[in-house]
Amino acid sequence: MPALSPTMTEGNIATWRVKEGDKFSAGDVLLEIETDKATMDVEAQDDGIMVKIMQTDGAKGVPSKPAESAPSAPPPPTTADQSNVAVPESAPQKSSSKSVPKVPSRQYPLYPSVAHLLKINGVDADVVKDIIPTGPGGRLLKGDVLAYLGKINAQTPATVSERFEKQSHLDLSNIKVAKSTEAIKATTEKAQSKKLDTPAPPPVAVVTAPISLSAVIEVQKKVHQTIGVFLPLSTFIARATEIANQKLPLPANYQPTADELFDQVLGLDKVKRKESRGSYTPTFGSFVAPQRAQRKADILDILAGPSKPVAASKPATPGLTTSGPNVFSLQVPKSEEKRAQAFLSKMKLVLEQEADKLVRA
Amino acid sequence: MLSQRLIGRAAVRSAFKPSGLPVVVSPRLRRTYATESEEKDLVIIGGGVAGYVAAIKAGQEGLKVACIEKRGTLGGTCLNVGCIPSKSLLNNSHLYHQILHDSKHRGIEVGDVKLNLAQLMKAKDQSVSGLTKGVEFLLKKNGVEYIKGAGSFADEHTVNVKLNDGGETSVKGKNILIATGSEVTPFPGLEIDEKRVISSTGAIALEKVPEKMLVIGGGIIGLEMASVWSRLGAQVTVIEFLDQIGGPGMDLEVAKSIQKILKKQGINFKTGTKVVSGDKSGEIVKLEVDSAKGGKPETLEGDVVLVAIGRRPYTEGLGLENIGLEKDERGRVIIDSEYRTKIPHIRCVGDVTFGPMLAHKAEEEAVAAIEYIKKGYGHVNYGCIPSVMYTFPEVAWVGQSEQELKKAGVPYKIGTFPFSANSRAKTNLDTEGMVKMIADPETDRLLGVHIIGPNAGEMIAEGTLALEYGASSEDIARTCHAHPTLAEAFKEAAMATYSKAIHF
Repeated sequence: MPALSPTMTEGNIATWRVKEGDKFSAGDVLLEIETDKATMDVEAQDDGIMVKIMQTDGAKGVPSKPAESAPSAPPPPTTADQSNVAVPESAPQKSSSKSVPKVPSRQYPLYPSVAHLLKINGVDADVVKDIIPTGPGGRLLKGDVLAYLGKINAQTPATVSERFEKQSHLDLSNIKVAKSTEAIKATTEKAQSKKLDTPAPPPVAVVTAPISLSAVIEVQKKVHQTIGVFLPLSTFIARATEIANQKLPLPANYQPTADELFDQVLGLDKVKRKESRGSYTPTFGSFVAPQRAQRKADILDILAGPSKPVAASKPATPGLTTSGPNVFSLQVPKSEEKRAQAFLSKMKLVLEQEADKLVRA
Repeated sequence: MLSQRLIGRAAVRSAFKPSGLPVVVSPRLRRTYATESEEKDLVIIGGGVAGYVAAIKAGQEGLKVACIEKRGTLGGTCLNVGCIPSKSLLNNSHLYHQILHDSKHRGIEVGDVKLNLAQLMKAKDQSVSGLTKGVEFLLKKNGVEYIKGAGSFADEHTVNVKLNDGGETSVKGKNILIATGSEVTPFPGLEIDEKRVISSTGAIALEKVPEKMLVIGGGIIGLEMASVWSRLGAQVTVIEFLDQIGGPGMDLEVAKSIQKILKKQGINFKTGTKVVSGDKSGEIVKLEVDSAKGGKPETLEGDVVLVAIGRRPYTEGLGLENIGLEKDERGRVIIDSEYRTKIPHIRCVGDVTFGPMLAHKAEEEAVAAIEYIKKGYGHVNYGCIPSVMYTFPEVAWVGQSEQELKKAGVPYKIGTFPFSANSRAKTNLDTEGMVKMIADPETDRLLGVHIIGPNAGEMIAEGTLALEYGASSEDIARTCHAHPTLAEAFKEAAMATYSKAIHF
């Protein structure tokens, strides 16, 4: 009995549709079989005659055989355990009686181009087996014959085959393993622990202010004209710095000093201290127009991965200019940003509007 | 060798055994699962083309198989939202377009032609549901247990499944096959909502024909969808970063030629153009584009923008990290030549691993992987995988392209034959396109076949067979082809390659 599914092991015969001695042809329904799931027709795979029915209608639990072995190529009727026995009209007996022919070395027919080449060049059929094949599965190709005949370079067919062989595989070389999340975590943790070992410098803020020195220069000229003393610009700036450093707001993370704490304990801090003297020295340079905003990253930049950071806007060129505004800047810890800003605005006020006071002071 | 392997596996397993101490679990808390008791021979994660084919093949080989799929229907991207539904739309939109513009000069006068988009979509849905149900039947027929839910690795032999109907279960497998496929690569800064900014999934389900449509990416998916909506009346512009359309695998001459043909059909192209950014805040979606070589920036507008820049492997929620499986830089699961991951009983096939993301490649791999499991040997010839673009005319190719050979410094010879010289194409009044054959100049062995033309997708099968058998162009030319057929153009191109075509 043919197995109707891979899991089927046995089935029941419902009814036979042919009687003993009946002829049937391929496609005719031979019998109906039942399984626990369905009833199905079994068709003849070949023409034949029903010689004998050994399991009659209603037979239960007939063991199944793989589909190919039962009706399609029925073995001779002498086999005892067959459930049905159908003898094809011709094939098996004849072929068994024939003497086995000599097995040719190549089972497949020669390619049309190969057959043609062999014929027109008068290559003997016996010699064909001496030609080295380079085709898939050892097939003889046109190129092999051409090489054999010396019409092309003897090495070419093998070279071409080699290329095909290479292409027939997935290229699994040069695999770049992506860092797993754990690996990334590990590296960041490592980096963090490193940071703990060597404390990173506190975040830095840069505060700048454009300040014109024209007022100062006027005062400088006036002084030179009136009393004949030339005061260098640096003097003005040093004095302005001195003034600006007075009474600056406390930094955000201001820690009271021991004295202050003591005063607090004694209840002497009636007015809470809000200001302190600063100790800033600004750096300065001539004014440079702010750089154009950096180009926004587009899709290609994102796909190309992290690019090299574009150099930040150029620092102001050092030195002072007497014509335009100068950039005064301070580099301070982030917590002191406000304090530094207050310092610079004071500087601006002193240098631009109260320059004459610098001389009197 | 075998005993060594067994010892190795036993050692691996024992690592996951609970300790000898008695485990105290309240009987109420402990769940019992129908599947827990029996270990499957194979558990497949993913019921797409790779997964379901593997499941059927394994069932046929007599393995006890479970296939886990979370979509709710089998067949994966290809069957549900990819190849199959798009072919339905392509075929029917082509019919509509032909009736509208092409039937008159053929001698057929039709009255008022109207598009019923809802019905067009319904026809598509019917094709899809018919096929997905067919696959489900095939799994059943081959004794495969189909589990609807999302699988994730618990350990090397266990997959937990969050069931779609609620609840959880787990399956154990001696072997596990990862076949989770791929997903659309999103365009940075332009969120896909499947209404106005769409992926291929949205492009097969638009509710009305957009007036203006922009397509980012001129690869196969982009061009097929551009064709559909252009035929139905949309004004379509395709933006491609490379200088050629059709993706880098398409032969350059073929790509140029099909671009001309599609342009004639009304699709606009902007090749060598990159999309810098997108903005969908307004009524109309806007794209800032720029010439790839640096040129004048431009703003393009569309009612709908299709993002078709490619696909990427999909492993989300799979729990690869739970068992220490690695991916490469592009997210592909790393395998060896037998589709094994570094854990030998876990294999991986299809889009989620290496190679071209094609349904038929996944299918081949699925069968090969099962053969490796069952018989110790399987084979896929990666040099012989055809590609087809189902525009009209179709484009199909197999083997190497002219530019690839040129780049590799490999000598070659070319033979072409135009469909305008083919009798069947002439009578069909579809004469655009050609067959181009590339062969080794000395041995005449076929290196590649490239076709533009009606039915190119079917015709490429002959080229693939020839390539698989190592045929020479003369072998094709000496094989009889029926007259009058389009396939004669194939034969004539072969003749042109090794000697001369008769009809050109």
